[in-house]
Amino acid sequence: MKAYLSVFRLRRRLETQYRGAVLGGVICQMFFGIILIAIYRALYAGKPQEYPFSQIASYVWLQQAFFRMLLASDPDLLDKIRTGGIAYDLCRPLSLYGFYYVRVLAQKMMGSLLRAVPMLVFAVLLPEGWGLSAPASAAGFCWALAGLLLGLLCVSAMENITMGFTMRTLDSRGMQGLMNLLMMILAGNVLPLTLFPDSWQKVITLLPYAQMLDAPIRLYTGQTLPAEAPRILLIQAAWILILTGAGMFFWNRNQKRIVIQGG
Amino acid sequence: MSYIQAEHLRKTFTVRKKREKGSLLREKQTVEAIKDLCFTVERGEMVGYIGPNGAGKSTTVKMLSGILTPDAGQVTVGGRIPWKDRREHVRHIGVVFGQRSQLWWDVPVQDSLDLLKDIYRIPEEDYRNRVKELTEALEMEALLRTPLRQLSLGQRMRAELCGSLLHRPELLFLDEPTIGLDAVSKLALRDFLQWENRRHGTTIMLTTHDMEDIVALCPRVMVLGHGSKLFDGTLSSLLGRYDTVRTVSVRYEEADAKPDLPETVPVNREGENLTITYSPDSYPTAELIAKLQQAGTIREMTMQPQNIDHLVAAMYREMDL
Repeated sequence: MKAYLSVFRLRRRLETQYRGAVLGGVICQMFFGIILIAIYRALYAGKPQEYPFSQIASYVWLQQAFFRMLLASDPDLLDKIRTGGIAYDLCRPLSLYGFYYVRVLAQKMMGSLLRAVPMLVFAVLLPEGWGLSAPASAAGFCWALAGLLLGLLCVSAMENITMGFTMRTLDSRGMQGLMNLLMMILAGNVLPLTLFPDSWQKVITLLPYAQMLDAPIRLYTGQTLPAEAPRILLIQAAWILILTGAGMFFWNRNQKRIVIQGG
Repeated sequence: MSYIQAEHLRKTFTVRKKREKGSLLREKQTVEAIKDLCFTVERGEMVGYIGPNGAGKSTTVKMLSGILTPDAGQVTVGGRIPWKDRREHVRHIGVVFGQRSQLWWDVPVQDSLDLLKDIYRIPEEDYRNRVKELTEALEMEALLRTPLRQLSLGQRMRAELCGSLLHRPELLFLDEPTIGLDAVSKLALRDFLQWENRRHGTTIMLTTHDMEDIVALCPRVMVLGHGSKLFDGTLSSLLGRYDTVRTVSVRYEEADAKPDLPETVPVNREGENLTITYSPDSYPTAELIAKLQQAGTIREMTMQPQNIDHLVAAMYREMDL
């Protein structure tokens, strides 16, 4: 266990070294946040609204702030798979899946936290209807934090499955492009899931993608009431188990037929 | 029972080739990387493992370190089957792949080593002693706090070796450890390996293309070609079979001097120098020298055995590799 913890720590520290990238990401995501909110404001102007607009603005900001959690793969790991550097990782007395999982987890956690904190501060300072509103309730906020943590585990497990495909195809782009597209749409990054038709939402909110960021955001904005929170967390936990189990199975199969090419 | 015991190892790979014009499907080809390989290695031995590119050397190392599963055959290393019990097995071995890196690129070497300490669960005190011992032997105390990316190739290779030996492995695989190193680094690396072997009895298996590495380090050599073992024994007995030719280089005071030698002894003229290749078994050396002296006044003369790389090339040629 200590070994995985050390890997996690080192990878987390590495993430803090790219400060320029953090700044660039923050500015880019702020820009996206403002544009998206401007578009939704224009669309909703003068029309009857089901939800208060401030909820949608909060949804957009939280999505943008944790963007890095959803869409970022570790280029080092993909490189290792592509060039055969993974041979060294196979020479360690660790589970290969676990070794990569903690690295992905550390990268996603630290990467998104570094960006989320300044962005959320910025978003809180924006005027009502443009910025991030306070959480609906203290209980909702606590549930949202727990949900975010589970969402992080869920998205890391998903990333490992994508990497499992990279082991087979040796090029991350194809599968990752597909997975990223699904992620952007089904996790609510392109359009908040709350704006999808109600009948769609019944299905979409049960998919793993909705567990990553959409579920905790709804807990934050109060769209999901604290009373329903245990059910949401249970769905998240179920997906974590399924995705991790599937990933481990996939990796074990890969490991048996792995061929490290070249000298 | 020997420390490493490999019996009838076999491994085939499938290679997909670009399709030919007019055919719809890509051509699949199976390549037998290793066919029916048997050998044993005793504890504390230093074995050189040579063969031309693509002979299956790295494949063997990967099977012995548990990365690859062979198609058939049996291997035990210290009683363990590498690929069956990978995690237990790798605890006892160290690997250096000369062309890859195990340390983290962006962080100081020390941090990568600290991580390895936790991965191999090395007790704190043992770890400190070992790092001290290794950094002294490798002369790299000053490098510990430098990020890996800022080290030169030779420095990096020393750091890699340190990383691979931290957990005191019983067996060390070195896959072309001296590739791209300068003369000083190469010599230092060889000294270090000898020191580690003598001091801790570490079994070392070395694959390399640098024959000087083998001459300096390995009393025993195995030659692999086309996936089969072609030779197993001492380097001198291997080379003795091919070391039959001597080269003499002569320079005369007179520009047009030409020794009168039989056709079986070829003479090459390169500027003022004459290079004569002959085999002492078929043409007596005394007679050669007499003939050379008759031809003119000798200003300079050197006599050399053939370069070891030439011998190996001749050997590969004869073995049809």
